Amino acid sequence: MHLIGNLSIYLALGLSIYAFIIFILGIYKQDQRFIDSGKAASLAVFILATISMLILFTALGTSQLQFEYVSAYISTDLPLVYKLSALWAGNAGSLLLWTFFLTMYTTMVVYSRKMKNNPMTPYVAAIMLANTIFFYLILGFVAKPFVLLDEVPFEGRGLNPMLQDPGMLIHPVTLYLGYVGLAVPFAFSIAALIIKSVDTFWLRITRRWTIIAWMFLTLGNVIGGYWAYKELGWGGYWAWDPVENASFMPWLTVTAYLHSVMIQERKNMLKIWNISLIILSYALTLFGTFLVRSGVLTSVHAFGDSNLGAYFLIFMAFAVIFSLYVLMSRYHLLKKDSGQFESFFSKESSFLINNLILVGGTFAVFWGTIFPLVSEAVRGTKVTVGIPFFNTVMSPILLALIFIMAVCPLIAWQRSTAKNLRDNFLFPALASLLVIGLLAGLGIRAAYPVIAYGIISFMVFTHVVEFYRGVKARRKVTKEAIPVALYWLMIKNRRRFGGYIVHIGIALIAIGIVGSNFDNETMQTIPKGGTIKIEDYELEYEYIAQRTEGINDIVYANIKVFKNGQNLGYIQPERIFYGNWEQPSTEVAIQGTFREDLYVVLSAWEKDERATFVVKVKPLVKLIWIGSYVLVIGAIFAIWSGKYGNITPRYTGPQRKVS
Amino acid sequence: MRKVITTLTLLLFILVIPASAEEEYDFKSDEFKEIGSQFMCTCGCGQDQFECNMQGCGINAAFKTEVKEMLDKGSTKEEIKEYFINIYGEEILTAPEKKGFSLTAWILPFVVLGAAGIGIVFIIRKWVAGYKDESFLTEERTEAEKLEDEIVKSMIDEERKKYF
Repeated sequence: MHLIGNLSIYLALGLSIYAFIIFILGIYKQDQRFIDSGKAASLAVFILATISMLILFTALGTSQLQFEYVSAYISTDLPLVYKLSALWAGNAGSLLLWTFFLTMYTTMVVYSRKMKNNPMTPYVAAIMLANTIFFYLILGFVAKPFVLLDEVPFEGRGLNPMLQDPGMLIHPVTLYLGYVGLAVPFAFSIAALIIKSVDTFWLRITRRWTIIAWMFLTLGNVIGGYWAYKELGWGGYWAWDPVENASFMPWLTVTAYLHSVMIQERKNMLKIWNISLIILSYALTLFGTFLVRSGVLTSVHAFGDSNLGAYFLIFMAFAVIFSLYVLMSRYHLLKKDSGQFESFFSKESSFLINNLILVGGTFAVFWGTIFPLVSEAVRGTKVTVGIPFFNTVMSPILLALIFIMAVCPLIAWQRSTAKNLRDNFLFPALASLLVIGLLAGLGIRAAYPVIAYGIISFMVFTHVVEFYRGVKARRKVTKEAIPVALYWLMIKNRRRFGGYIVHIGIALIAIGIVGSNFDNETMQTIPKGGTIKIEDYELEYEYIAQRTEGINDIVYANIKVFKNGQNLGYIQPERIFYGNWEQPSTEVAIQGTFREDLYVVLSAWEKDERATFVVKVKPLVKLIWIGSYVLVIGAIFAIWSGKYGNITPRYTGPQRKVS
Repeated sequence: MRKVITTLTLLLFILVIPASAEEEYDFKSDEFKEIGSQFMCTCGCGQDQFECNMQGCGINAAFKTEVKEMLDKGSTKEEIKEYFINIYGEEILTAPEKKGFSLTAWILPFVVLGAAGIGIVFIIRKWVAGYKDESFLTEERTEAEKLEDEIVKSMIDEERKKYF
C-alpha cells in the first residue's frame, strides 16, 4: 500500500512538472496538441491526488500503524470518523488535503465549459500547476505522508482529544477550501495580466469562485470559534491567536475585493488595486500557513516544530515577487482609460472608504500579529499582543465598517444629492435613535454597547429601507402583491440582495459579539446539594459521578437549573480523562436561548464531593451562529444559478491559437 | 494552662478566619478580573491568569494566591502590575504597554488608517475634479434637446417595464 501511496505522490509531482512545462511550451509554440496533453496531465494529477487521499484514508481507517503518520495521529480505539479526520491533523496529511483541493480546482478550471476556447486557460492552468508543484515537492521531500516505521508499534499515539469533536470534521476542511479557492482568482488575475487582457473578464468569471472561497473562509472561522466556545471552557470564541488572525486577514482583504470589483465593473477603475488585493489575499493565505507550520509565533494552533514554515515563506516571497513583476510590466495597460468620479457623495466613494477600513483593519491585525517579532528585533524585549490589544484596536475599526455598510446601500451610484440623502436616511436615523433611547431606558449606561447597537441598528434599518424601496418601485410598475414583488425583486437581483442578506448576517453576528462581552460570571466551590446564584439563574448541584466510555473516564456533575424559580431541567458539565492522553479536557454544559447562554464548567472537585464550578451568563451568543447561517444563505443566494441576469462573461481579450 | 488554651484558641481563630475567607473568595469577581486579566498565564494554555482553568495548573493557582495576598496588603493595581513586570518582563502582559516603543503597536494602525484616509480623499477629489473639467466642456442643453431627452427617457422606461 505504501508503494502505491508513494508512487502516487512522486508520479503526480513528475506529471505536474510535465504539465507545467508542456503548457508553457504549448503557449510558446502555439500548438494545441501540447495544451491538450497538459490538460490531460492535470486531470491525471487530480486522479493521483485522489488515490493518495484514498490510500491515506484507508490506512487511517484500518489503523495501519506501520505508517509513521497513522501511528502519530490515531489509536486503534478511536471512532472511525475521527480516525479518518486525522488526515488533516498533521502536517503531511493536511498538506495532502490542500494539494487535493488544488488539483481538483485546477481540473475544474481546465475542463470548465465556460473556459472552452479561451486563450487564458493554459496560462491559468500553468499558474495553478506551479502551486501544485510546490505542494508536491513538500509532500515528496519534506512532509511525506507515506513513510513506514522500522518497527510496527503496538498502539498509536492517538489523536489530541481537543480534536475529537465534530468541529474537527468541518473546520479545517472549510478553511482549506477557502484558502485554496483563492488560488483560482489569483491565477486568473495573473493570467489576465500576462495575456494583456485587462478588461473585467477575469473578475467576472471568477466572481463565483471568489464568493465560494470567501464563504468557506467565513465558515471555517466561525466553526473554529464555535468549537473553541464549546470545547475550551473559557467562554470565548475568538482569541486573536496568530493563526486565527492569519485566516481573518485574507477574509478582510477578500471582502474588500468583493466590493471594489464593482467599481471596476461599472467604471473600469481600480484595476491595479483589485489585482493587488487578490495578490495580497493569496499571499496572506500562504503567510497564514507559514505561521501555522513554522512555530515562529506562540500559538495554540501550531502543528509542532518543523522547518516547513521556511519553505512557505520562500514560496510566498516567490509568488509575491513574480506577481508584482507581472503587475508592474503591465502597469501602462492598466493605467489607461481610467474613469472618473462624478461626485464626492456617491456609492463609488463609499466603496473606497469600505476598502480603506477593511484593508486598514487587515493592517491592524497584521501589525498586532507580528509586533512581538518587531519588538524583539528592535528592543530585544518580547511582548505579548493578546485579546485586550485587538479588542481595543479593532472594535472602532469594525464599528466604522458597519457604519459604512449602513450608508453604502442607500447612496446612489454616480451622485447623491442632499435631498436624496435626507430622504433615504431619515427613517433609519430616527429608528436607530429610538433604539439608542430604548437601550438607555432599559438601564444600559455604558457608552460602547449603546453606540455599537445604535450603529448596528442603523445598518439594519437602511437595509430594510432598501428592500422597501425596491419592492415599492417594482409594485409601481407591476402592481404585484408585496411578497410576490419582494420575491421577484430578489430573484432578479441575486447579487445585490444576496449581498444585503450577507450584511444582515454580519449585523446579527455583530449584535452577538457586542452582547457576549457583557457576560456575568462567578466561580464558586460548593458542597453537594449547594446552590449557585447568578442573575436569574439558580443552579442546584445534586451529585458528582464518574462513568467510563471506552478507555476514557468521564467525571460529571449533575446540576438542576432554575430560572426565576422555574425548573429548566438538568445539565451535566464534564471533565474527560483520556486513556492515552495526558491532559484531560473540558466538556462545557451550555443551556442556550436566543437571549443568553448559561455556560457551566466543572473546574475541580474534592474528596468530600465539594466541587468548583465556573458559571457564566453570556448574552446573545446564539446570534453569532445564527448570523453565520444567514451569511452563508446570502452568499449562496448571490451565486445561485438562475435564469435571470446570469450571463457568462464574454472574453474580449487578445486571441491566441491555443486555448 | 487556661491562658495557654485561650491563646491557642485565639490564634487558631485568627488563622482559620483568613483561610476560610480565602476559600470563599470569588476569583471571578470584577476586582480580580481587572487585575488577573492583564497577565498571561505561563502554563501554555494561551489564556490570561483570570481565565485559565486548566486542571492542575499550579502556576495559575500560585499566581492567584499571590495576587490575593498583595490585594490584602493593600497593593494597588499599578503596583501589582509593576511587581510582575519586574519578575517576568513585559511579555507577561496580555497587551503591550502604552508607553515607549510598545506605544507604536497601539498607534500605528490608526496612523496608517488616517494617512490612507487622507490619501483617498485627495484621490476622490482629483477624480471628481477631472469629471468636472470634462463636463464643463459640454454645452447647456437647448429646450428642443431637453424635450428630446424626455422622449428618449420615456421610451427607455417603457422598454424597462418589459423586463420586470
